[in-house]
Amino acid sequence: MDDDKMTDDTLSTLKMLRASAPSAEAKKLALNTAMLAFDAAQPKKAAAATKAGWRNRWTLGAGLGVPLGTAVAALVLLPLGTQLYTATSNHTDAVPPKTVTTDGVLKKEIAIAASDMPAKQDEVDSKIKSSTLSLQQQPKTARPVAPPKDGEAQPPVPTGTVTEEAEPMMDQLATVALAPMELDRDAAKMTAAPNGNSGLMGGIAQPLPSANAVPQQPSGDTFQKFDENRVKVTRDEPVSTFSIDVDTASYSYVRGLLKDGYLPDPEAVRLEEMINYFPYDYPAPASIDTPFKATMAVIPTPWNPKTELLEIGIKGYVPPATARAPENLTFLIDTSGSMDEPNKLPLLKRSFGLLVDTLQPNDTVSIVTYAGSAGVALKPTKASDRSTILSALDQMVADGSTDGIDGIALAYKVNAEAKGEGTINRVILATDGDFNVGISEPDELKTYIKTQRGNGIFLSVLGFGRGNLDDELMQSLAQNGNGNASYIDTFQEAQKVLVEEGGANLVTIAKDVKIQVEFNPAQVSEYRLIGYETRVLNREDFNNDAVDAGEIGAGHTVTAIYEITPTGSGGDLNDPLRYQMSAAPVATSDEFGFLKMRYKTPEGEVSKLIQTPIGKDLVVGDLAQASTDQRFAASVAAFGQKLKGSNYGEALTWQRISDLANGAKGTDVNGYRAEFVQMVKLAALLNPDHAGSGKSIYDDPKGGKSGPVRSTGGRPTLN
Amino acid sequence: MPAAAAVRNNALVDRAKAGDRLAFGQLVEANYDFIFRVACKWTGKKSDAEDIAQEVCIKLATAIQSFDGRSAFTSWLYRVTINMVRDMQRSSSRRDRNVDAFSLVHPEDDPGGQEEATTAKEIWNKVSELPEKQREAIMLVYAEDMNHADAAEIMGCKEATVSWHIHEAKKTLRGLL
Repeated sequence: MDDDKMTDDTLSTLKMLRASAPSAEAKKLALNTAMLAFDAAQPKKAAAATKAGWRNRWTLGAGLGVPLGTAVAALVLLPLGTQLYTATSNHTDAVPPKTVTTDGVLKKEIAIAASDMPAKQDEVDSKIKSSTLSLQQQPKTARPVAPPKDGEAQPPVPTGTVTEEAEPMMDQLATVALAPMELDRDAAKMTAAPNGNSGLMGGIAQPLPSANAVPQQPSGDTFQKFDENRVKVTRDEPVSTFSIDVDTASYSYVRGLLKDGYLPDPEAVRLEEMINYFPYDYPAPASIDTPFKATMAVIPTPWNPKTELLEIGIKGYVPPATARAPENLTFLIDTSGSMDEPNKLPLLKRSFGLLVDTLQPNDTVSIVTYAGSAGVALKPTKASDRSTILSALDQMVADGSTDGIDGIALAYKVNAEAKGEGTINRVILATDGDFNVGISEPDELKTYIKTQRGNGIFLSVLGFGRGNLDDELMQSLAQNGNGNASYIDTFQEAQKVLVEEGGANLVTIAKDVKIQVEFNPAQVSEYRLIGYETRVLNREDFNNDAVDAGEIGAGHTVTAIYEITPTGSGGDLNDPLRYQMSAAPVATSDEFGFLKMRYKTPEGEVSKLIQTPIGKDLVVGDLAQASTDQRFAASVAAFGQKLKGSNYGEALTWQRISDLANGAKGTDVNGYRAEFVQMVKLAALLNPDHAGSGKSIYDDPKGGKSGPVRSTGGRPTLN
Repeated sequence: MPAAAAVRNNALVDRAKAGDRLAFGQLVEANYDFIFRVACKWTGKKSDAEDIAQEVCIKLATAIQSFDGRSAFTSWLYRVTINMVRDMQRSSSRRDRNVDAFSLVHPEDDPGGQEEATTAKEIWNKVSELPEKQREAIMLVYAEDMNHADAAEIMGCKEATVSWHIHEAKKTLRGLL
């Protein structure tokens, strides 16, 4: 049918239809209303839980905003604020957002209707009408309409106090307000900020939130979700138990993101890994008989004048270099196609090259690759034959899909072949992502790794690249393999992990190290463990040798920090109870608490106990008198907390954190601490403190007009 | 769609379904242009496309829960978008719009293909007069360059039905083109 063919051809030109590019404003608006709808769709509890986390991150100081954007955002914010205030003061359910778009060539009106409050509907409607702004989105001019009259613009004062329920609403409101914030270049050129709005803006618009101005971390990487450790009342829960964690992956991952101009997901920020990234100069134990030693201090909390920080620093024994047993290492290398990026396989090759350089002639290296199929790239070879090892490394190319599981089995097999009398056996897995094929059941894989651990072969995991990283699996594999997980983003980091700390990361001196602190309610009314959320153990697990815990390598330092509230300091977050007997403390000791640590020797199956009281003699009254290590660890904790939008310690400004760290750099031989200060500055750029204070509007409904932050000065002395 | 992007979408969908706000944001962000582009082709008007894209984004917040992964995410997203286009066009206020606002192609966007684009626009005008189902079938098969099976999946009908719609549409168009 010629005719049909012709129609066919003609219709095919429809392919030439070109859609014009969406305007940035429209996109932004759509994204923000979508987020609003998403929040409304979530169960309330979930919204409340994540609130603190993202609130801080989405909040951008007005400083970065262009005047016009500020004004426009404020204008849009205002009517919405009015409406939401009305809604929340009458009704506490989440308001399903509904965007009403009216027809008009270049005009969009935003309004939110609280559809579940019919009784108030008319009133709400009239409010919207009276205060909704038409945002003229014309390409070359942006002309904010005059602000609504004062009377209508002022939020009606709620009869009661604004309760907790109001907060999520405010968050949503903040998100909506972003809509017009990201300005295109045309608008950015405009300088005309409407006058006369400043008074109106003062209240609500002060901390201008911006979602999309601050890019979030690229997706695809997965992290274990966890809730931040909460403040515990000593009287209710006097005992805190956790496993040690020497991983540092979180810090290098976060550093990579910040350097690229992204803020990390709160889950990616694990405080203990941030703190433990840095070497601390704690005194080391004298002999292998006590494989590690704890150094403690109680110093003032930089972010809270009413509390103290109990810092527990642990340093592992450093065996003399000559005494080291020969190492038997198997590199298990992911050569799937995705590894073919400069910061993955090529970096990995150079990193392992570094490691090979540090090995002793008697050590053994083998290489197993996995991709479409697993294969032995290098049979166990003595480190003295360096050129063979390096050329085998060099020959690896990235292709094929990932099949990590077969690779693991093969790597253990190859490693077992090279096992000798007294060798240190370890498989080092290097990958950029998850294991897609084979034992798809992570638990099965973990069990397998545990079994191998029982056979004396440990596993360490090195993560490379970004975008596909399964951090959670990495962590749990390493934990089950008695190894550690590191994230390598630069050659420098490879140097740190594999050379500087090569000994610590490869030579385990104590395993299943658990810490238990019993606090004395007579001295400490509340306490909070900073970080270690993913490592918390049950109280009874401490004495149960079957429960796995973290390892300490040669010369490793591990730091744990508790924020403690001295009894009677007035810093308690929990009020005393009315009906409960306030039993007199059983012991009237003046100790803060009692520290117990359990560990096993690398080959041992029965744990040993180290214990020591935490006495008043540890108190350092003034932050300036604390050691550089202690102050630095505190600044890293403060940074991590602020970065992840923690419920605690947000009040500290970036500047204060950076000052604190800067003053605590010490000798900083490798420049890690100097680099940290740079990280703080980057984070401050990406998520600036609000002008005048580190607080946000959410802390103070009056709109940040209150006095300066309460981060410094005036801490009570200890009795 | 490249496999990597599909995997990424699916990972985000899973996280978003579980209530992960960040993932949802990224999902919408990553797919907005696609939604807009489809809406733009379908409606032929930028402002309508923006409205539709926005509505789709909002709808995703709840509709995401009903995505079961049986079809590809993009196919599903097509369906959601096209349904939204249909809803919009059915509402009477949107019927009598002035055609001069037609803005499918900005000359500066595509200086080379302007002539073809103009032809395409004329054809589109004719196609847009067709009954709903026929129009959708034609757009999917010709504008989006899909095979009948894919189009059927998106339209939620049998492949043969798509073929029949196309056949009917051609019969009508034959005299007009």
